Amino acid sequence: MEEYSVPVPVKPPAEIESLELPVPPWLGEVSKKGDELVLFVGPQHGGSGHMRLIVRVHGDVIREVIPDPGFVHRGMEKLAENRLYVQNIPLVERPAIMDCVNFSLGYVRAIEKALDMEVPERARYIRTMLAEVCRIGTHLYDAGILSVFLGHTTGFMWPFALRELTCEILMRVSGARITASYVIPGGVRRDVDRSTLNFISDAMTYIQQKSKDFEKIFIKNPVTIARMKDVAVLSKKEAIKYGIVGPFLRASGVEYDVRAIEPYDAYDELTWDIVVADDGDSYSRFLVRVNEIQQSIGIIRQCVKALKDMPEGKIAVDTKGKLLDSVKGAFFRMFGRLTLPAGEFTTLTEASRGTLLYTIVSDGKSNAPYRLRMVTPGWYYLKGFMESLKGCRLADLQAVYGSFGYFPPEADR
Amino acid sequence: MLSYESLLEMFRQNSVGIPLITRKVVLYHTASKIAYIPPLTSLFAKIPILNLIVALLFWKPFFAVLFAPGLVCILIAILFIIWFERKVTARVQWRYGPLEVSRSVGGIIQPMADGMRYFFQEVIVHREAHRPYFLQFPLITFLPVLLPILVIPAGAIYAINTPYSIPVAIALISLIPMIIVAIGWASNSKYAYIGSLREAMMYFSYEVVLIISAMSMVIIYGSANAFSIVDKQSVVPGIVLNPFAALAFFVAIAMATSRFPFEIPEADQEVVFGPFIEYTGIIFGVVMTLAYEKLYLLCMLFSILFLGGWNGPFIPPLGDLSPAFWLFLKTIALMMIFVFFRTFYARYRLDQALKIGWSTLMALAVVALVTGIGLGAVNVTGWL
Repeated sequence: MEEYSVPVPVKPPAEIESLELPVPPWLGEVSKKGDELVLFVGPQHGGSGHMRLIVRVHGDVIREVIPDPGFVHRGMEKLAENRLYVQNIPLVERPAIMDCVNFSLGYVRAIEKALDMEVPERARYIRTMLAEVCRIGTHLYDAGILSVFLGHTTGFMWPFALRELTCEILMRVSGARITASYVIPGGVRRDVDRSTLNFISDAMTYIQQKSKDFEKIFIKNPVTIARMKDVAVLSKKEAIKYGIVGPFLRASGVEYDVRAIEPYDAYDELTWDIVVADDGDSYSRFLVRVNEIQQSIGIIRQCVKALKDMPEGKIAVDTKGKLLDSVKGAFFRMFGRLTLPAGEFTTLTEASRGTLLYTIVSDGKSNAPYRLRMVTPGWYYLKGFMESLKGCRLADLQAVYGSFGYFPPEADR
Repeated sequence: MLSYESLLEMFRQNSVGIPLITRKVVLYHTASKIAYIPPLTSLFAKIPILNLIVALLFWKPFFAVLFAPGLVCILIAILFIIWFERKVTARVQWRYGPLEVSRSVGGIIQPMADGMRYFFQEVIVHREAHRPYFLQFPLITFLPVLLPILVIPAGAIYAINTPYSIPVAIALISLIPMIIVAIGWASNSKYAYIGSLREAMMYFSYEVVLIISAMSMVIIYGSANAFSIVDKQSVVPGIVLNPFAALAFFVAIAMATSRFPFEIPEADQEVVFGPFIEYTGIIFGVVMTLAYEKLYLLCMLFSILFLGGWNGPFIPPLGDLSPAFWLFLKTIALMMIFVFFRTFYARYRLDQALKIGWSTLMALAVVALVTGIGLGAVNVTGWL
């Protein structure tokens, strides 16, 4: 069969040009010289999460990692400007759905600060308890992700199965397994009864027992220690310089915890320790979070005991200072037309992965925020995460990723 | 000159004797009557072409490569071990594992269902691939997998009886990493490049240890012929004589077949199946089973060198298949141990694996070699 060629002028479509990768021009030059390999990890990669990591590898050693975040940016701050103050509570939980109570707590406290509300004691204890439940859930989630990044599938499944208990606790207390939207200005949405408190303390006992098995199979595993010990070390000075927050800052030996320094809710009435490690490597970043789970279990036990001793009811307060047993039916009458006085109101919260900042700017007239500034812990420590990767092996990329528990939806907001 | 009759006679002279299918099976016999089922092989004995085919199938060299311990046994082992790996991992991890495909037998035909799915999936050849090599290397992998079967005997079933069977088998198995590296080159992608580089590095770290520990056993037995090696283990298996060699060989197998904790070339969180990243469909199915085929071969070598090979109680109905059955059983048990590592190990880094291979493991192999020379000098198998 004879073939004929038909000269049809075809131009590459304009999208090809516009879809060019956001790579600095010098990076192309580097990869052409042949000394280095420029490797694109993500966003469709088993070990990248929802982000792209541009890795310059020399042999097996990483020279530099350039992050390309923003694949799950949802514009939380802009969305918040078009909603009522109370409608923003479910919104601000979305970046880190495992950590919902900590995230809504920060926002709600900013509103309370503006309105000068005094939260009833029972509500404060319930909030603290649920914040710690969410902390346990997030740390277990991160431990599972770290395990599977190291190739340890059993270490992935066991924490995820344990996390089911924290979901169950949230469900029994608030009605939702994740994204509880439970914390409201002036208190909490509904009361916790005695049988739920018993369930919570049983669940804590179970998690404590099962985490001993997890310790045997993953934490004290010689392969795990070999992979993470002395990898991606950040010294105390570097950690402060790059603005690391939360457990990762404490792993470098800095004793900073918002819960202790600017206590909110019931944290100053409870006894607990700030977990600190000195090495600043991947393993100590992991161990700090493992030990924080134990501290959280202690805090929850104290909260459960205090709540059992307290009389039930009186879990919220309205804008005029009247104590309420329940906000059922009265919620939108109370908060539908909520307007904050003009000004800027900032709160710091210790979320599971670190310091969480909310700033509400109000013009004093409208019932929606003029501006909501929200800086999540993931965004704070992204720079330090990238810096710590320099000089690691290529196989360490995922191990260090897991040791930081970096969660792109949280950082991108 | 080779005539039809002489060829048929040659096949029949050296055929596998399995009483279950080559002898008459007596159903019952009373005082005067005997009722029996005619043997399966005699069904086609008089039909011209079919009798040659049947005789060829039961001809020992052909039977060894095609059935036991060859292709069919490899397939059975792979189908079982993939199911077992998924199931045991799931049970440890508080899950059910494969179940829905066949509920009554615990989902044991799940690998077969996966194979069928692979078979009907589109095979994508990307633009940058070296197309002819990309497509033919997965098929060429069957050569280094099936050729060692020629020199690894299973009792009475063998193809080539040579005094160099163990070295030849190891040399042929060593060809597999070459083909994996070639696959990585033909894929022509960055992750495949890194994966094949890792495979080459791993090859470099385990191969010397594997050869030294196998040779230390050959020195003890004074022969590299599999038959005499198994004969000399009839009382004491090799693992008791030289446990150092057994341990070094065991770890080297884990490195060679990328089992945990040395699943480095295929690390799916890091390089996404490494050399095989670009394969889809049935070709991916073929290259994915490559590590399991290698595991089967090396476990067979392990059981011949250290566990007494095909030694075991004779099973009359199986006849010549009986030793092959025992060898298969030992091989499968070893493979089950190897795949169980997945449940409790993470993955080492490449440089750590190289360090283990050239320090700890090498020291162990040297100790094994010294032990082997010592035991071989006093001829320990002679007076056992």
